[in-house]
Amino acid sequence: MPARGNVEMLVTMQPIAVNTGSDDRDGMLVMANGMLVAVLVQLATPDHEHEGDWFLEVALGPLRAHLAPTFANLDDATRWMRQRLRAQSDCLPLK
Amino acid sequence: MIVRGRLSDLWWTIPLKRNGLMQHALIRKLESYETLSDKDRRALNALVPRIRQVGAHVDLAREGDPPDNVHLILDGFACRYKTLADGRRQIMAYLVPGDFCDLNVFILDQMDHNIGTISQCQVADIPRQAIEEITADYPLITRAFWWCALVDEAVLREWLVNMGARAADQRIAHLFCELHARLEAVGHSKDDSYAFPFTQTDIADTMGLSNVHVHRTLRDLRGMGLITLKSRILTILDVERLKVFCKFNANYLHLKNARWIDRRSVIWPSQSQGG
Repeated sequence: MPARGNVEMLVTMQPIAVNTGSDDRDGMLVMANGMLVAVLVQLATPDHEHEGDWFLEVALGPLRAHLAPTFANLDDATRWMRQRLRAQSDCLPLK
Repeated sequence: MIVRGRLSDLWWTIPLKRNGLMQHALIRKLESYETLSDKDRRALNALVPRIRQVGAHVDLAREGDPPDNVHLILDGFACRYKTLADGRRQIMAYLVPGDFCDLNVFILDQMDHNIGTISQCQVADIPRQAIEEITADYPLITRAFWWCALVDEAVLREWLVNMGARAADQRIAHLFCELHARLEAVGHSKDDSYAFPFTQTDIADTMGLSNVHVHRTLRDLRGMGLITLKSRILTILDVERLKVFCKFNANYLHLKNARWIDRRSVIWPSQSQGG
């Protein structure tokens, strides 16, 4: 169950190799409160204008609704995802 | 008369015969669908359009506007698009030389989408009154106009299939094959190369893909030796291989050379193969 109020959502990452069919292989599984919410991949394809950035390769659940930029680092990516996951959990009806 | 572009594009300084250039493009387009009579051609030649040069990324018509003139692209590339509330853009059609932007849309009260240029364009504005008069008096021209509208719809259907049912690499390859066929039909493709002013973002917004996926896919297509893209010129290195790769069938473009014009009862090759 998503955290609410003052409880910070726990976002953790686990490195994983991702087959994107390209040179972009280094990825991170992103978990929010223990649930997989996204897969990030670092852009390593030569000539890409954002080479080195982290790309939201797969978005799950509430993150699917958002158009994500690429992120200069994992902290930026975490902040971006946390904001959207929190906004979503705020919208959930309280039980 | 001589029309001059800005200093930055003096290459474009060309003699422009006001009565002639548009008619040539228009008659060529319509005759690819219907054989017109001399009377029809005289009526089209009597049209006095306003021809203007429009810069890249300029809207010719905006969503919500009452439609005014009918726009015909004489040179350059334009697109139909919608902008979503969150700022995302979806491109629904590319308009190439010889294409009407909005042949019948003037019947509507307001535009339900935008039409904007991708590159610098030469555009003919034909007053809606002139179109209405011509369609009232010249059935063959009217029929050719129907062709234009029907082919636009057929292209839209194919794009729907493209978005819904083809993988990213085949989707983009299919677009390249389509542009090749359409541009070749109007004399804007040479040696399997054509101007390609679209950015990766334009393609992403057209194909429902991210910039990253478009970049990867273009790299793949280049790596497979199917295309090159240099200095905004796209070259298809092996047209037949690219067509096989994305299973491209040009039937939906209804180009004259694919229409068996005098033998319409003859079944199409795809049907004879049980396709």
